[in-house]
Amino acid sequence: MDSFEWVDATSVEQAVALLTAAAGPGGPVVAKAGGIDLIDLIKEGVVRPARVVNLRSIEGLDRIAFDERGGLSIDALVTLAQIESSPEVRGRYPALAESARHAATPQVRNAATIGGNLLQRPRCWYLRNHYFHDDGVDAAAALASGEHQYHAIFDNAACALVHASTPATALVAYGARVHLAGPGGRERTVPLHEFLRPPRFEQDRDTTIEPGEILTRVTVPAAARGTRAAYHKQTERDSYDWPICDVAVVLEMNGDAVAAASIVLGWVAPTPRRASASEQALIGKPLTEALAREAAAHAVAGATPLAKNRFKVPILEAVVRRTLRAAAGA
Amino acid sequence: MDQQGNSTILGPGAGIVTLLVNGRAVRAMADPGTTLAEVLRYGLGLTGTKIGCDRGACSACTVWLDGEVAASCMTLALDARGRQITTIEGLADGAALHAVQRAFVEHDAMQCGFCTPGMVMSCAALVERNPACTLDDVKAAVSGHLCRCGTYPNVFKATLAAAAQRRTSAADAESRR
Amino acid sequence: MSAQKPPTKTQTVSYGIVGQSIDQVTRSVPENEPPPLPANASLKVIGKPVDRLDAVQKVTGKARFTFDVQLPGMLYARRVVSRVAHARVISVDTSEAETYPGVRAVHVLNQPLLQHARLRDEKADAAARYPTIRYFGQPVAAIAAESQRAADAAARLVKIVYEALPHATTLEAAMQEGAPLVFPGPTEQPSTAGGGGAPPGLPQRGNVRGPDTGQMFGLPRGDAAAAVSGAEIVVDAEYRTQVQTHVPMEPHAMVADWREDSLTIYASTQFTTSVRDEAADMFELPKSRVRVISDFTGGGFGAKYGIGNFGLLAINLSRKAGAPVRMVLDRREEHVSSGNRPDSLQHLTLGATGDGRLTAIQLESHGTGGVAAGAGVGFAHALMYPCANVSQQQYDVFTNAGPCAAFRAPGQVQGIFALEQSLDELAHRLGLDPIELRDRIDTGPTDDARARKVERQVGAEKFGWSGRRAPNADSGAVKRGMGMAQSQWVSVIHPPTSCEVRITDDGSVEAFTSAQDVGTGTRTVLAQVVAEEFGLRAEDVGAHIGDTRYPSGPPSGGSRVTGSLTPAARNAAYRAARELAARLAPALEANADDIVFESGRVGVRGAPATWMPFKDAVKKAGVTEISHRAVRQDDYEGYMMSMPQFAVGRHGIGGVQFAEIDVDTETGSVKVRRLVAVHDCGRPINPKLTESQIYGGVIQGLSYALYEERHLDPASGIHLNANVDQYKIAGSREIPEIEVHILEQLGGQSSTDARGVAEPANVATAAAIANAFFNATGKRIRRLPLTPANVLDALRA
Repeated sequence: MDSFEWVDATSVEQAVALLTAAAGPGGPVVAKAGGIDLIDLIKEGVVRPARVVNLRSIEGLDRIAFDERGGLSIDALVTLAQIESSPEVRGRYPALAESARHAATPQVRNAATIGGNLLQRPRCWYLRNHYFHDDGVDAAAALASGEHQYHAIFDNAACALVHASTPATALVAYGARVHLAGPGGRERTVPLHEFLRPPRFEQDRDTTIEPGEILTRVTVPAAARGTRAAYHKQTERDSYDWPICDVAVVLEMNGDAVAAASIVLGWVAPTPRRASASEQALIGKPLTEALAREAAAHAVAGATPLAKNRFKVPILEAVVRRTLRAAAGA
Repeated sequence: MDQQGNSTILGPGAGIVTLLVNGRAVRAMADPGTTLAEVLRYGLGLTGTKIGCDRGACSACTVWLDGEVAASCMTLALDARGRQITTIEGLADGAALHAVQRAFVEHDAMQCGFCTPGMVMSCAALVERNPACTLDDVKAAVSGHLCRCGTYPNVFKATLAAAAQRRTSAADAESRR
Repeated sequence: MSAQKPPTKTQTVSYGIVGQSIDQVTRSVPENEPPPLPANASLKVIGKPVDRLDAVQKVTGKARFTFDVQLPGMLYARRVVSRVAHARVISVDTSEAETYPGVRAVHVLNQPLLQHARLRDEKADAAARYPTIRYFGQPVAAIAAESQRAADAAARLVKIVYEALPHATTLEAAMQEGAPLVFPGPTEQPSTAGGGGAPPGLPQRGNVRGPDTGQMFGLPRGDAAAAVSGAEIVVDAEYRTQVQTHVPMEPHAMVADWREDSLTIYASTQFTTSVRDEAADMFELPKSRVRVISDFTGGGFGAKYGIGNFGLLAINLSRKAGAPVRMVLDRREEHVSSGNRPDSLQHLTLGATGDGRLTAIQLESHGTGGVAAGAGVGFAHALMYPCANVSQQQYDVFTNAGPCAAFRAPGQVQGIFALEQSLDELAHRLGLDPIELRDRIDTGPTDDARARKVERQVGAEKFGWSGRRAPNADSGAVKRGMGMAQSQWVSVIHPPTSCEVRITDDGSVEAFTSAQDVGTGTRTVLAQVVAEEFGLRAEDVGAHIGDTRYPSGPPSGGSRVTGSLTPAARNAAYRAARELAARLAPALEANADDIVFESGRVGVRGAPATWMPFKDAVKKAGVTEISHRAVRQDDYEGYMMSMPQFAVGRHGIGGVQFAEIDVDTETGSVKVRRLVAVHDCGRPINPKLTESQIYGGVIQGLSYALYEERHLDPASGIHLNANVDQYKIAGSREIPEIEVHILEQLGGQSSTDARGVAEPANVATAAAIANAFFNATGKRIRRLPLTPANVLDALRA
């Protein structure tokens, strides 16, 4: 890796100021939390920062808190390992705990932060190869006619890239919001599913984060009584692997019947996809095997797989059905 | 931080970094782009930690940061400041091997040996944290490790044996009180 | 002057499988050969699960791999590789790189590349100033600098002007009439120290070179085509296997130290001699001036022979810079340019009688090893099962992709995937248990055939084979099944293997070989065999390996180290022990023949008062130093085939493996629940280390069967998953319960009767899993890997 300038930020305001300052001619100024995504992109020659703003030195940005009214608050520097082992998360947001538990490796989970995880760029083998960032190379076209086995089966006409974050699948299902601090002391909050935008090769970020902004927190509403949830990440290899697809299901129950449902599909569309038709099919009914099967069929209806990722369709359908049943039985 | 309250800019050139390695404060040259694995191996001559992929995907570079497993190839040296770094060289107590090291020897949990230091670090962390660990716990603890020679079955046996031994010596110590 | 056969004597040796039946047979052996060893149960050190001698070094991080070598003044290197798949190189401008701060040398490759096929007519490419680029990532040049950072930065400043040519990256595309030509004319690729390569002089049309009709194995035999048409049963099928990369955890690494009067090379290698010889050849140095050192090699699996193109670069850089140069491939480079197992497309036709006996085997195979030849699918068709009519046509297909290299049982893994599945299908169609079928047809006269019979029995019992159900017995989404498959490999010997054993005045005993250790335990088995002769423990023997200054040892490949080295080591130890006895005898007033070594002591048989510790005996004998060297003798029954550097025994080595799997028919996910592997390896010197090797082979076989696949981008030729998170090898959660059983088989062929095990261990696993797939689902899967995508396709067929 080439070197860069390094500044240890001591506050959110200072970090914002540093990120907003004009970059020198040598490359961009970027923020670093756990560094897992950034270091990979630098090593692959995709990102060449002139300056790195270290966020890990900011105190007080690493807490998980829960209260019955406000719900869950996870600061940006909280690691995936902390999320996985937090009693509040396990007890009240089990799909989120499960998604964190299956992300990457134990070593990476100890370093990777939720902020960095949500902001990471796709794990596409075209995007992470600097050759496809050269002038004159049409990476999206290469992907479309090339090896897109692990890419989108929905909304893939312009570009088949998918977001990589698996905790995002669970967080979207729980209705999470992200909180951002920006220049001039500005703060804003955005639903996570709006914050993530379709990835593109020509972008340098795949969220609506603006230059100079820092993601400070993720909040998740308090779940209603009797909420049931399940999460499943379907992989080729169990030890650790990027998913074929992942599915998060959060059900609000009214007795035996489903009152509200949130079914989110990951790694099959550019951003985590709400299976709305599936959700509608469940309302007011008990979640039987037959209903789960019907809802799963809705989830894959309208898929437009590419030549090499058709296999994702039946797998997604099976995983949706099974995750629904797991949530119902939870 | 400078007098105006601005943080100092480090790099891009190298500077002296003080790190706590195996219980001692040591100084090495590193620039912001230097990884912990690089400074350990090339700055401090601690070549026990290996680099198998340099992307955090094989875990050969595993060290402990404050007792927790970390991929040293994906940790920048500057991010290791102020943390207790334990490498494979620091696991034994002088000539007395760690229980996991002894068990690895006895159960032939190595072949070529390149992935071994990292494996030992993860297994030792597990046994210290949870001496009641099961086979599934062991598999989870080494789920990030890649071994092409196929030592996994013996790694599992060795780690469970070391854990059992830990439980026995803990029970012995308990009963002597 | 004609060579005279050395004097011989007759020796009675044990022959057979311990625990089954042992006969006494007579052999004609060299006159000074040691007495035969009894079965392992009667030995003290051989056959015992001694802890690996270098285990402590490995678990403490003290084992120094080439990756770890740091010499004073050492420079760091980085290669410059092509960014196109196929091109003529018009110019290479290194001017900016040369002046980058810290850069001490630059070298551009300007000679035919190693490990690639070469044009038969060298003039066809002669106009080119630089080697033609034939795959994306091919090495062009390299930089040596004072830091890795500087070398990497300078490498990026090298400007290459290419004249792009069309490329073909897939087997099917390259086979087409009119496909872009990887080579402009016919090619040759002699095999290297590691094997691989392809037979000379074969025809080549476009990118397709062959056929290799198996002359080396006495093929064709009979008239296979006629036998097929006359057969009662015909099993005809097509199989497809994928490219596999070696993924040693230590990448290819070299530290080259060129000095005025010597070249020292630290190499991560499977064959120190091959590094020395290739360096001496390429740089026109006498071998006496080239030394290769390899304390520990972090895996090789066939890819680490010779110096490679990266070694050519490192040595040139060291010469130019006048300093040691460290060249280590990164993980991407390792995947792309240092070797792979070719893929295969096999059309296999079996003809059989109604009771299962094979009357015909017809094979046509194509495979791509990228820019290298060596895509054969092995010799099981020719050798494993008796069959009167066998024909094969094996073809190499060149593609614009990285060169193949021998990979643990080269060709055989691919070939047995097909053969053992077709046999499973034959058994099914005849209503025979697959084991019953093998009992009927695996009837050759060789030791491995005899061993497999026992292995089938033992394995079936340990595995619970009688619990196997009819295909597709489970009605739910997850289906469970059992399968078995057999493996065969040849017993390879390295005839020049020699070993020195030395006793020093303080009682030290040492053994020396240039052989290396890639993880199989060379030091330990060497020490065990020597220790046994002296009544010592393995840890009392200093086993010195991995240095070409020591007597010439075998390559760690072809499963040949133990079988080649241990007889030489034993013989040298035996002679040293006899000389010690002879020098001690007068002091004990006894006959040298009555002096024995046991449990660390030496004395006269039957006279306890004469016994003393080994050290004291050496002193009492007045020894300053005793040194003996012995060479690996021919197998007592002679070889099936022998050349100066390579011999093949009359008997092979084999194994039988059983797998139980679950197939999730909705998600295409396959989980292996358990495996039983029963293997033979002659006399196991160390059952603990042998078991580890078998685990390793089984796990590689499982990984190949289920997860591994190279993905090339067709438009650019880029290897997309040149990493270890997207190129998937088996990790901890993929490991099933694996039970290993090892036969002790005495063949009466050498003074230790040890044979190898590494390759048979990974040959049958994929076939056993595929056969289990059929048993689970009632569908054949003839395509690897068994990824969800391929499984769902097979289930829908």
